[in-house]
Amino acid sequence: MAKKRVMIVGGGLAGLAAAMKLAELGIDVDMMSLTPVKRSHSVCAQGGINACNDQTRQLGDTEWKHFDDTVYGGDFLQHQPPVKEMTDWAPKVIDLMDRLGVTFNRTTEGFIDRRRFGGTLYKRTAFAGATTGQQLLYALDEQVRRWESEGKVKKYEFWDFLGPILDENGNCRGCVGQDLVSMEIRSFPADAVILGTGGCGLIYGRSTMSMVCTGSAASRAFQVGAKYGNGECIQVHPTAIPGADKLRLMSESARGEGGRVWVPRTPHDPRDPKSIPEAERYYFLEERYPEYGNLVPRDIATREIFDICVNEGLSVEAGRQCVYLDLTHIDAPELTRKLGGILAIYEKFQGVDPRFTPMKIFPAVHYSMGGLWADYERTTAGGLVLDSPQNQATNIPNLYAIGECDYQYHGANRLGANSLLSCIFSGLIVAPGIETLFASQKGAAADLDKSLFSNAVKKHQSDHDALLKRPAGKENPYLIHQELGDVMTKAATVVRRNDQLEAAYSTVMDLHERAKKCSLSDTGNWTNQNVVFTKALLDMFPLAKAIVKGALQRDECRGAHYKPAFEMPSLKAEDPEGRRREAEQWCDRFDANTDKWLKSTIATWNGNEPDITYEDVDTSLITPRPRLYGLVGAEVIEEVWNERQAKKQAAKGDQGNGASKPAIAGAAS
Amino acid sequence: MADTSQNAQRTPDSFEVRILRQGGPGQNSYWERHRVKHEQDMNVISVLQNIAANAQTVDGKAVAPVAWDCNCLEEVCGACTMVVNGRTRQACTALVDRLLEDNPKEIELQPMTKFPVLRDLMVDRSRLFRSLQKVKAWVPVDGYYDMGVGPKQTREQQEVAYPLSECMSCGCCLEACPQYTKVELTQRDDESDADFQERKNAAYDSAFIGAAAISQAVLFNAHPTGKNIAGERLDALMDEGGIQVCGNAQNCVAVCPKEIPLTTSIAKVGRQTTLHAIKKWFDR
Amino acid sequence: MDTNPSFLARHEFLIRRLHSLSGLIPVGAYMCIHLLTNASTLDSSATFQRAVYQIHSLGSILPLVEWVFIFIPILFHGIIGVVIIRGGLPNYGSYKYTSNLRYTLQRATGMIAFVFIMWHVFQMHGWFHFDVWLKGVAEPLGGAQFAPYNAASSLGAAMRGVAVPMLYVIGVLSCVFHLANGIWTMGITWGVWVSPAAQKRADRICAAFGIALAVVGLSGIGGAVRIGNSDTVYEEAVEVEEKMWNAKTASGEIDAQKALHKRSHTTDGHASAE
Repeated sequence: MAKKRVMIVGGGLAGLAAAMKLAELGIDVDMMSLTPVKRSHSVCAQGGINACNDQTRQLGDTEWKHFDDTVYGGDFLQHQPPVKEMTDWAPKVIDLMDRLGVTFNRTTEGFIDRRRFGGTLYKRTAFAGATTGQQLLYALDEQVRRWESEGKVKKYEFWDFLGPILDENGNCRGCVGQDLVSMEIRSFPADAVILGTGGCGLIYGRSTMSMVCTGSAASRAFQVGAKYGNGECIQVHPTAIPGADKLRLMSESARGEGGRVWVPRTPHDPRDPKSIPEAERYYFLEERYPEYGNLVPRDIATREIFDICVNEGLSVEAGRQCVYLDLTHIDAPELTRKLGGILAIYEKFQGVDPRFTPMKIFPAVHYSMGGLWADYERTTAGGLVLDSPQNQATNIPNLYAIGECDYQYHGANRLGANSLLSCIFSGLIVAPGIETLFASQKGAAADLDKSLFSNAVKKHQSDHDALLKRPAGKENPYLIHQELGDVMTKAATVVRRNDQLEAAYSTVMDLHERAKKCSLSDTGNWTNQNVVFTKALLDMFPLAKAIVKGALQRDECRGAHYKPAFEMPSLKAEDPEGRRREAEQWCDRFDANTDKWLKSTIATWNGNEPDITYEDVDTSLITPRPRLYGLVGAEVIEEVWNERQAKKQAAKGDQGNGASKPAIAGAAS
Repeated sequence: MADTSQNAQRTPDSFEVRILRQGGPGQNSYWERHRVKHEQDMNVISVLQNIAANAQTVDGKAVAPVAWDCNCLEEVCGACTMVVNGRTRQACTALVDRLLEDNPKEIELQPMTKFPVLRDLMVDRSRLFRSLQKVKAWVPVDGYYDMGVGPKQTREQQEVAYPLSECMSCGCCLEACPQYTKVELTQRDDESDADFQERKNAAYDSAFIGAAAISQAVLFNAHPTGKNIAGERLDALMDEGGIQVCGNAQNCVAVCPKEIPLTTSIAKVGRQTTLHAIKKWFDR
Repeated sequence: MDTNPSFLARHEFLIRRLHSLSGLIPVGAYMCIHLLTNASTLDSSATFQRAVYQIHSLGSILPLVEWVFIFIPILFHGIIGVVIIRGGLPNYGSYKYTSNLRYTLQRATGMIAFVFIMWHVFQMHGWFHFDVWLKGVAEPLGGAQFAPYNAASSLGAAMRGVAVPMLYVIGVLSCVFHLANGIWTMGITWGVWVSPAAQKRADRICAAFGIALAVVGLSGIGGAVRIGNSDTVYEEAVEVEEKMWNAKTASGEIDAQKALHKRSHTTDGHASAE
């Protein structure tokens, strides 16, 4: 009998963490990636990785609070047990990465230094200069290279995942891949296939994501039956540098280290920003959110910047939207030490030194919280059964999803510096589950009838050949991609309106039909990037539709999904009694909304469109509570809310596991 | 984006790009000219994106899009290395306006010359990753179970290690190195993939290893756990194609996009191998 | 598959390090002594002749010393140097950095120096000292012109004209650059100067050393040219050499018969002066 193997698709943080852990468990791994794994998109993460630590612990922090911040930041749209397990593991993940040689910044005494990130009050974020993602990825890449040199891991770099291979029972038995150089299509029998293929930012045309982040791999699984969860939850990063080819991230750590966001009070003030006196500057985040200031959560920062530019017309430039992100009040050497990497990026791409001139930034699509639906097995205490083969499993048996391409950890919005954690954690956790899975499986995929694999290859080969033989002079895939990006960016990013979403949905449907008529400018069969791109483009549409349809149907505001028409209003009454009454109504409405919408959007592909169903969310550990950032009357709502919670608590009797959290963090007072 | 600053007005409406193309390994290369419309904030990547979307030469002849490698476009992934106006660099940070300031006539793009061309501007840099295997560029930990915190390190140690750890394996240092020469093998008809891979590895291992891997050896030799196998790394660097091939032209450090102190690393390995050789001699 | 790498490949590290070392000791060190000795011609012919007598006081082991400590190391350094040069692809045209220029010059001067030294040793020394070779090959071809016991005058005679001194200027400057820059790269190779600051400091010291050695070297050439191009100086040199020879032979320090081949071909010392 052949030895069982795992195929990992995608060599970012999640895929590499899984490969390394599986290899340690003695399981042979194949690894397929569009790019040499060291060049994966994880390198772009700049700011850091969160974990409760010895210092924050003494200031009152716990793993539980990290857990709470994460689900609160995600507006409670994630199942809580995996998140709890992740935050419990976070300190251990940091220790492990430290042991693997990650060059975390140090305190003078030699401990790992921490910084504060958005959405929390604790300095929880470990960082390695301004290239934390790169440093973490390299540490894992090095370990996997070590296993590779021992023959435990075999890499297939510059290979495109064309789809899973399902047997007659719908079980995944391997996958089909295509060599991007020779264009050879072949099958890879595998007893488990793990997708760690990242986000789908390219659906939005330009985003902060890398060129491989087309979402095509997730889409190919989706199109053969994998469920896709919370597609509409797309994080828009508040601070990105506008560019012609992509929008480059300006890490939240620029704000974490004291960066201040402002606009001149005079629209399009032509003066040199440094010569504008304080009184004529509008530090709108600090004024509107005195407690969090510039470190409000991402969705709020994004919306406020959007609001300042679009609604208030206070953009710095007349021709395009942007605001100042200002670090010039901080000592240049200190900035170099703490933020050297990201500041260098700005200088490199804009030709201006941000240590001496305020940066210009604007929001950009950054992260997909949604992704392939993934399962977990819960313990009674609310954590995960660590070696359960259900953890990270999609609804297709033997097919797993980890990292950004799963929908598991971030709910409706991701907390800054939690993505690196979720990627590494999900990669590590999937391995023991697969070990269990293998123990229960009879026979290896490699021993199955060869026709299963050869038929799969044949199908993909004929699709490929048909694409190459398209008549010339039809649609141009690159232009269709631009159109797709434009419509998605307009309708499904910061502010969402149903009329726009409806229009966008039909435009996306039309574009999909047009995309099917693309003709190729390269019909050769050697390193044909044209055909690879066209395939990826075609696979963007199912996800784009899932995103738009999910957004259209979700009539509420939740995390990054913001629909002003369904926004919970501020209190209007001036008198205390009126306020109190409104607050009661507000809380009623909030509860009703929670009952209706605190559900994951689950899309399944019907061949042409996504069908949407809803899945209840396990919120058994922390009761969902409102987010009251910047709301007028927040303190009254909070009071009412807390009273109601106390009553419920009393009614339930004291069966507390620490889960009840009556206080509302972040309420403006 | 209606930037109407003077700078934008001075730049031309369009410009020419000259690209050295090659259909595949072993084929002849040839120059091809494209005309690209000028836009605000352009870099070489957006030029190539433009060409991909509208692949025709200056004479209006439709051609296959130019193949090239890129990913992050933020100069952290190392993918888009090419030779731009005669100099190796990342295409994503090659800003069109700057290039046109230097040479208003045209922008010239070539694939790296030290690696086998796969197609057009795409090259095979697997030798670079092989070299990281050769020097065992990793921390030899026992395993990935929770074993508590890592070794304590001073801020000074971190500040020395961090720049080295920023190496993104882009290969600029190798492209500019006069001692690093191309190794290109072709698979024989009767040769299996595995045999071919083995033959390639042997050829890579005996050719000059280059600054990038040397610097990684320094990084791991300085790590509190990594140094446990420092001797093995130094042995690898004293093998054929090791540190001794360096000719001190110091182009590596001059072209490194991450400004990694590569020549310092080379000198450090010089010192470490000197001591290691003496120690080995007397410990025999 | 090639499983047996060549001897050179197997011992590449050791050979390269020996190559590096041999450039300084003995080749570089010898060159310094040689140039200093030659510069003594500027002082007086007598000083120069005294220095030569001192070297030749080694007597019959001198050829052994020359071969072991000078000729073989130079041949080793030169031949390995050629192998190294063949392994590189200078690219100063594309990467115009000072250190890259120096890399290129190091190779160019190395080649010039190697050719120059071969010619120089032939011209002055004749390569081999057995009579058949000297009379049959070396001397007819213009080699073996230097007569140790007519040191200054035979040197001066060999340096007459413009072409030969020009070749010497080029050759000596190449050698000097190659040594001074070679010491700098050697410091990196062996890990003596590591940081950029240390390399910069070493750079200045090597430059100062190179300039000083160039002055010394050019002085030697100047001294020799002066002897060769002025009849009075030349005559004086011959006279001094004559006196010293007579004194040495009279005291029995030198056996006149045995040492005759170290004299110019006629006792009056004019033979090589046409």
